Amino acid sequence: MLLRGISWLVLFQLLGTGLNVLLLPMLPGPILGMLLLFAFLVWRGEVPAPIGEAGGALLRYLPLLLVPPAVGLMAYAEAIAADFWALTATLVLSLVLSLLFAGWLMQKLIDRQQRREGDA
Amino acid sequence: MSGSLTAAAQAILQHPLFGFGVTLGAYQLALALFERTRWVFLQPVLLSMALVIGVLLLCGIDYPQYRASVGMLSVFLGPATVALAIPLFLNLKRIRQLLWPILITLALAGSLATALGIGFAWLLGADHVMQMTLLPKSVTSPIAMLVAEQLGGVAALAAVFVLITGVIGAILGPALLTRIGVRSPAARGMALGLTAHAVGTAQALQEGEETGAFSALAMSLMGGATAILLPLVVALVA
Repeated sequence: MLLRGISWLVLFQLLGTGLNVLLLPMLPGPILGMLLLFAFLVWRGEVPAPIGEAGGALLRYLPLLLVPPAVGLMAYAEAIAADFWALTATLVLSLVLSLLFAGWLMQKLIDRQQRREGDA
Repeated sequence: MSGSLTAAAQAILQHPLFGFGVTLGAYQLALALFERTRWVFLQPVLLSMALVIGVLLLCGIDYPQYRASVGMLSVFLGPATVALAIPLFLNLKRIRQLLWPILITLALAGSLATALGIGFAWLLGADHVMQMTLLPKSVTSPIAMLVAEQLGGVAALAAVFVLITGVIGAILGPALLTRIGVRSPAARGMALGLTAHAVGTAQALQEGEETGAFSALAMSLMGGATAILLPLVVALVA
């Protein structure tokens, strides 16, 4: 089951990679694979059990899979040190402002939709 | 005697499995510490990264050598990205219920998050490679890394910015949202997932199931939209 699901996921990624080279060089292969799988799931109307099992297993270990790329930080310590304050300020300020805006906007839109449904 | 001990130590350090073993060990240790303390600064990826870097520096192993030994982990990042289609599909019904609020918030707040990132970086004098690396900072790491690489940024650095952004969001987010009167679980989840991706979603899940679901949804949508639109927009502008 697990092997069959992983084979499906690998197949979709390889299809995505082919599509990336043939038609859509601006989108990464795995992302195209994700869109292809999404279209496949919508077409099927359900998540086939092997794909669900393999996907669940991979996503559960996603943080572990992200450790090796994060360790790549050590190769860029100098680049980070050079721009340290610019980077810190950028990350904190842009996060706080966009988080507040997103929450505020979504709340307003939900309130409006509820009022409308109340009127109708 | 000490000569053969040194030889044995060398054989272990040079073994292709050494980096892999250190990564697995560091991750389990980090996970156990995080689960025991629930302290946001002990975010598992952040802590594992610090532990692995510490061990590598102590043993005198450089990054290319380490990367070669964890190839079998890295190869699964692609299929894991493909698997993100599953939660997206499972949330389809919820998306339809609040379709317009979600799409409008995604378009406006998502653009703002991305634009503020590059805007501040430019104002504060970061170079072009740094700017391209900062662009996808609000999306989940596999997508951010792929997009950063595509745009001429640095994938590894993008992962670090994503993590830092997520941790800041999880720490500051809930209190800030409460202060400006955002009460609805859907809106709180949307804000956390949109700007602070997986780390924000973990935080949102602690607030409740609906907050968590909307955060996961916002994370997937923001990831998808960034992956598709950002390279297009950059290609058009540049």
